[in-house]
Amino acid sequence: MNENQTFFRATIERILADTVGKAELDHAEERQLPEAFFSVLVENGITSMLLPEDTGGIGASLGDAAIILRAAGAAAAPGPLLETMLAQKLLASSGLGPAQGLLSLVFINEAPGLVGSRWSDAVLHDVPWSQAVEKILIVSRSGNEARLLVSDPAGWTTEPGMDAAGEPRDLLTAEAIDVTSANCGDYDSWLCAASMLRAAQILGSAEWSLRRSIEYASERKQFGREIGKFQAVQQMLAELAGHILAAATIVEAAADDCHPTMIAAARSRLGDAADAAIAISHQVHGALGFSQEYALNSRTRRLMAWRDDFGSVLYWRRVLARQFTGLSREAFWPAIADAGATVPR
Amino acid sequence: MSAANLYLERPALTPAAEDLREEVRTFIAEQRDSGALPPPERIGLGFDVDMTQRIADRGWIGLTWPRQYGGQERSALERYVMNEELLAASVPVGAHWVADRQSGPVLLKFGTEEQKRFYLPQIASGNCYFCIGMSEPESGSDLASLKTRADRVAGGWRINGRKIWTTNAHRVHYMIALARTSPAEGARHAGISQLIIDLKAPGVTVTPIISMAGEHDFNEVLLEDVLVPDEALIGTEGNGWNQVSAELAYERSGPERWLSSFRLISELVDVLGADTQPSTQEELGRLISHLLALRQLSLAVAGMIEQGKSPNIEASIVKDLGTKFEQEAVRVARNIASAEDLVGNGRAPRLRALLMHAQQYAPAFTIRGGTNEILRGIIARGIGLR
Ligand SMILES: Cc1cc2nc3c(=O)[nH]c(=O)nc-3n(C[C@H](O)[C@H](O)[C@H](O)COP(=O)(O)OP(=O)(O)OC[C@H]3O[C@@H](n4cnc5c(N)ncnc54)[C@H](O)[C@@H]3O)c2cc1C
Repeated sequence: MNENQTFFRATIERILADTVGKAELDHAEERQLPEAFFSVLVENGITSMLLPEDTGGIGASLGDAAIILRAAGAAAAPGPLLETMLAQKLLASSGLGPAQGLLSLVFINEAPGLVGSRWSDAVLHDVPWSQAVEKILIVSRSGNEARLLVSDPAGWTTEPGMDAAGEPRDLLTAEAIDVTSANCGDYDSWLCAASMLRAAQILGSAEWSLRRSIEYASERKQFGREIGKFQAVQQMLAELAGHILAAATIVEAAADDCHPTMIAAARSRLGDAADAAIAISHQVHGALGFSQEYALNSRTRRLMAWRDDFGSVLYWRRVLARQFTGLSREAFWPAIADAGATVPR
Repeated sequence: MSAANLYLERPALTPAAEDLREEVRTFIAEQRDSGALPPPERIGLGFDVDMTQRIADRGWIGLTWPRQYGGQERSALERYVMNEELLAASVPVGAHWVADRQSGPVLLKFGTEEQKRFYLPQIASGNCYFCIGMSEPESGSDLASLKTRADRVAGGWRINGRKIWTTNAHRVHYMIALARTSPAEGARHAGISQLIIDLKAPGVTVTPIISMAGEHDFNEVLLEDVLVPDEALIGTEGNGWNQVSAELAYERSGPERWLSSFRLISELVDVLGADTQPSTQEELGRLISHLLALRQLSLAVAGMIEQGKSPNIEASIVKDLGTKFEQEAVRVARNIASAEDLVGNGRAPRLRALLMHAQQYAPAFTIRGGTNEILRGIIARGIGLR
């Protein structure tokens, strides 16, 4: 972590401690945003940190944003933070101008029915916080290119839904809706960016689950001693610690230079780490962890919600494998050792 | 490390390390061209004194050691890069591996000036190989219960005991034996010492043990009234436990813990070609992501060693994850080979041979160098549970 990043981490951790607690998590399951959290984020320029300085941002890197999101993931902070941060950057890169409020973001592989700026029989699945945002951004693939579509929430018919963590993910339909649109570069690069940022959030939640489980194992007593003194519990937590450390190093490598190969690897490795975090942290917690009241599920349900976001774990495994299949036995190792350093095929 | 900061800084590779990587790759290409490195049909570190000689000629044994003892004073990161290149290319480095990885460093850290001057230059020039004399028939994971004794005699020590699973004892020069030099009074880790035994000395009997993979790699070593001089003692009498802990950290932290069967994956990738089923891509992608993560972890551990830290817990994590990964790789390779119809039809004979050997060898990954259960105990202590 560089100096800026240490500063970002301290800042976001302070904000989270002040504004996100049990009440905010509960309210999010009633479709209410943590207002105080987001107003401080906006005030501190964090939602717009990815914008260049001349358009009102601070020119932060995606790696800097990953620091923010790792901490937000650890706190299980609800709301479209990742979406707003990246959507701001999308708006700026495509020349569609800045937005003031929060933004939602989805990626789609095709937009049938879109002609010019008029979109007929439009359908969007799993749109985060569609009722709480100023604009809904859609990154639509056409070949390798991305087309950015910007729409008004009011133009859609909304069927409320939610993800495994209880945060809003809505089904939006419209017989016809007007969108503003512009080309915004390479689709896969934007998907990679979103995926890497989600990885940071997943990592944060998984790290929290490990830490909490270790603490709990040192508090809870059975058979006259702390359960952490039992070798079976120690072995489970040691295994989880390995998963988390491995996932953390590869996510950091991915965040550092946003290389597509490392991002794909991070999402794949993190998939296994998230599964282990869910299984082991709950096992260590016994029935308590299964209650809604106890905080563990706010993290593990986010792991469930996020694990396959912005490209599923299996999608990223296929992407990763394609970087290496077709290589000779002699060329395979150099490709592994140089991964992240070279332009992908 | 504690639960609160389970964190590893990833070091940047220096230009010197990248230059060395290129040199090693050039060396490997030359060896391939000259026919000295045929694609292997077995996994593991081959034992080849000619190859060791060629590696020594380049100054690559004892790379980090002081020049006065035959080293090159290069960094731990450079050594890491060199080793990952050699291992991934299946260069047979087995002859000098233990001496370079742990015996030499233990002597450097705890040995007398005389010992360093005598052994280190011989190791660095590729002429002196070591084996590890820790395990005994009754003492495996519980190493401190060992029974081998070294009794004081005029001018030296008389050693009696039985070592087992001693890899390469039949083809190396010396063993560093762990032996009890005074009775265990109170602390059971006290009174243990490290001694160098010349394997040609009278009273040493090396008997082969054939592994389930059909190979003669390890042995039983019987020590009957073996006399060694005073100079055979390494470090301080009774400090053997601390010294051996340091030695085990060297033993556990290297990339060989996840690269020893790498050739199976590279062979699989080679024969698969570009056109594979989605399920194959998913399994292969998963393996590659674990490999890339392990590599980042190993680099970070090398970075810690470079900074003079002793990454015991981190090394235990790398070995736990790495050895599990290697066993998993064998299972996945086998499944992919059958899904893609590469076995049972003569299409990929080398892959078939590698798979067969790797399956037979794989149970050892999570046992040698300390079992994964023991490693997880160390990790549990590191995260504050013990
Ligand atoms: C290929 C190979 C090469 C080797 N080379 C060498 C060598 O060169 N030199 C050398 O000295 N040794 C060598 N060894 C020996 C190796 O170090 C030991 O096998 C290892 O330390 C385990 O000891 P053990 O085999 O006696 O098993 P045990 O200690 O008897 O263990 C058996 C099982 O019980 C478990 N167990 C034991 N104690 C505990 C505990 N406290 N908590 C939980 N589980 C426990 C173990 O994890 C294991 O699953 C080699 C082994 C192999 C397989």
